[in-house]
Amino acid sequence: MKRYEVFLKKDGRDEYRHAGSLDAPNDELALVLARESYLRRAEADRLWLVDREHLVVGNTDFVAPNADKPHRHNDGERIAERRKRLREAQKYTGEDAS
Amino acid sequence: MTGPWNADIREFVLAFADDEHLMGQQHTEWIGVAPFLEEDLAFSSIGQDELGHAATLYAIVAGEGDPNREGGIDDRRLDALAFDPDPSRWRSAHLVEATTDDWAHALVRHWLYDTAEQLRWELVAESTLEPLAGAAARAEREEWFHRRHADGLLDVLLPAPGAGDRLRAALTDLLPLAVGLFDPVAGEVQAVASGVTIAPFDSRMPEWADRVRARFDGDLSSIDLSPSDRAAPTGRTTRSNAFGPLLSRMREVLDLDPAAIW
Repeated sequence: MKRYEVFLKKDGRDEYRHAGSLDAPNDELALVLARESYLRRAEADRLWLVDREHLVVGNTDFVAPNADKPHRHNDGERIAERRKRLREAQKYTGEDAS
Repeated sequence: MTGPWNADIREFVLAFADDEHLMGQQHTEWIGVAPFLEEDLAFSSIGQDELGHAATLYAIVAGEGDPNREGGIDDRRLDALAFDPDPSRWRSAHLVEATTDDWAHALVRHWLYDTAEQLRWELVAESTLEPLAGAAARAEREEWFHRRHADGLLDVLLPAPGAGDRLRAALTDLLPLAVGLFDPVAGEVQAVASGVTIAPFDSRMPEWADRVRARFDGDLSSIDLSPSDRAAPTGRTTRSNAFGPLLSRMREVLDLDPAAIW
């Protein structure tokens, strides 16, 4: 048996989302079994299956160091503030803000 | 008018409905006990599809050819057919009555039955009984998947040591019963004459036998697959020993309170 990761997508602009995993002996049966395990209530219109062996996995030691860099978190607040100030300054000087 | 209807055509449609119903029932009994979780879901879903086909066919019978008459058929009229306690009412093939707790038998029967079922729906795809032609179109939208499921499993398991032997042993057990699927049912002659079906079901048996040979790559010479040489068919009027216990299982909840309205 192989383990497959299941990704589903509704038609439209939503992205593929991980829905779970399943065990199957080969790609063909993975497709067949995914249809009944994950799509029997018309949950999606598109299906990706990925053999877990084919995933490139970053281990936690490799991933973790970037967790302590708050300066890389930009919530847009400062930019919004600067733009607001600029707009008001333009209004004050009578310049066209567009 | 939705097409021809009389007592003979009723018998013809009822036999198909009974087969679909009992096959669906047998498949769904694997829920929770199939070899692995994914298969558990797949096999019982396939059984559920067959139950849907049965419900469609019983509705044609209950509506005397028109399942939409009087604004639809009351579920209780379908239940009266589907859970009829009188064994002499039933027209099921012995293949679908047989009960097994062996997965190899369940899988081989799934393949044998669905391969025959495809040919059976094809015969009524252009039926003069319009609701039956509609049911055939609907069924084929599901049946291709059933066949792909059965073939997918057999592709993997037949070449495997151990599993292949179990499947071939199951085939030997089940073929004599499967051949009975093609026994002419009461009313078939009239169904052909009125265009409800284009030909007797057993006219498609050689094609089915070819597919069985190709699938299992086996010597089937010990099994009598030629319609003309077979023992006289019973017209589906006799029930096998497995039928009684199966009907009891199906009626288990219903019998708790016969007066209840579901």
